[in-house]
Amino acid sequence: MGPNAGSLSAAAQQAEKLRMNGNKCFNKDRFAAAIDAYTEAITLCPNVAVYWTNRALCHRKRNDWVRVEEDCRRAIQLDNNSVKGHYMLGLALLQRQEYAKGIRELQKALDLGRGANPKGYMVEEIWQELAKARYQEWEHSSTKRSWELQSLKEACESALKEKYVIDISQREGFLDEDPTSHFEQLEALGRVFSKAAEDDVPTEVPDYLCCKITLDIFRDPVITPSGLTYERAVILEHLQKVGRFDPITREPLNPSQLTSNLAIKEAVQAFLEKHGWAYKID
Amino acid sequence: MTSSSAAARKALSKIASNRLQKELVEWQVNPPAGFKHKVTDNLQRWVIEVTGAPGTLYANETYQLQVDFPEHYPMEAPQQVIFLHPAPLHPHIYSNGHICLDILYDSWSPAMTVSSICISILSMLSSSTVKQRPEDNDRYVKNCRNGRSPKETRWWFHDDKV
Repeated sequence: MGPNAGSLSAAAQQAEKLRMNGNKCFNKDRFAAAIDAYTEAITLCPNVAVYWTNRALCHRKRNDWVRVEEDCRRAIQLDNNSVKGHYMLGLALLQRQEYAKGIRELQKALDLGRGANPKGYMVEEIWQELAKARYQEWEHSSTKRSWELQSLKEACESALKEKYVIDISQREGFLDEDPTSHFEQLEALGRVFSKAAEDDVPTEVPDYLCCKITLDIFRDPVITPSGLTYERAVILEHLQKVGRFDPITREPLNPSQLTSNLAIKEAVQAFLEKHGWAYKID
Repeated sequence: MTSSSAAARKALSKIASNRLQKELVEWQVNPPAGFKHKVTDNLQRWVIEVTGAPGTLYANETYQLQVDFPEHYPMEAPQQVIFLHPAPLHPHIYSNGHICLDILYDSWSPAMTVSSICISILSMLSSSTVKQRPEDNDRYVKNCRNGRSPKETRWWFHDDKV
């Protein structure tokens, strides 16, 4: 969204200068001075999204999340594709414990960021924050689910026991009913409940959802002409640093031959939807 | 100390330590047959015990492999994969422990793991028909006296079949 250098008005030129000054102050951790510079730039040219996101970044450094949110919303109005706008808005929403909305903004930032530069540092940073938020969300909801299941299980168990006592008293004198069936029922109940809790128990991510290089669950999977799938940023690094071959088959491979593996991407999303624990990093 | 051993001491990157942690977990669940990882808290240097496969020249003999990892593993091959003294007598293994095996150097691929390296080394031992040092052993070992890492060697690889 940078203004066109050829036809800059005087105000726009002045605003650009102010932005540069702001950036210099920011790099020296002088956030108040940077905010002043960006504010002046915004006064001169209120329609440049970058001025708003730059100022939002300063507010973020000062933990002033209300202002981060205001500035990011303004930036997104001006440029709905602003990666930083969606990213920092997401962080601000998470600060307010608006998990669902915050996660949606981070996801949007991630998709936009990948479109712009799949290997960029922003993508990694956004992913980390998104994974952290999703993990927290899972911790929260799984704790709730496990409480619900536990109390339901206890209620069922005591109901079964009561029924057993009633059955015995009704058949007074006749001990033909097998008491083991009662224990079998209790055991079956235990199995049903541990099955219901299975998804929330952290285990291993299946191999077919993991990159053979990172050994980690896919984030942005790409498929090679050999039919193998790798993590995009990592296979690009391999092609650049190690050599132009498929790491497993050793067939020749060029970056232009990589295609998104949408099926695996969907499978990963479905898996993560059900098993939020897999968002845990480290 | 050579420049390469200084580089070896550079801490692992986040990607490298993540990946090694995952390899270690996988190894603990499913170790390659014939190998035992000696537990240490040093993720950057693994010491692995290898026992020769039954029915081969090295049956019942035990050796120790040392694997050092560079900062950018697995985009770079392990810093060095060597046998600790005494190294097995083998036509591709020098008396200083250096191993002439292409996947450790030119033919490295980031899809390989410590486990797959171990399997390659064991298969190299198993297919040997004679217990002897490489022909150029004395010259090579002398050249390495300054502590040179095997990664700095310009290897020309012996016959793949042995």
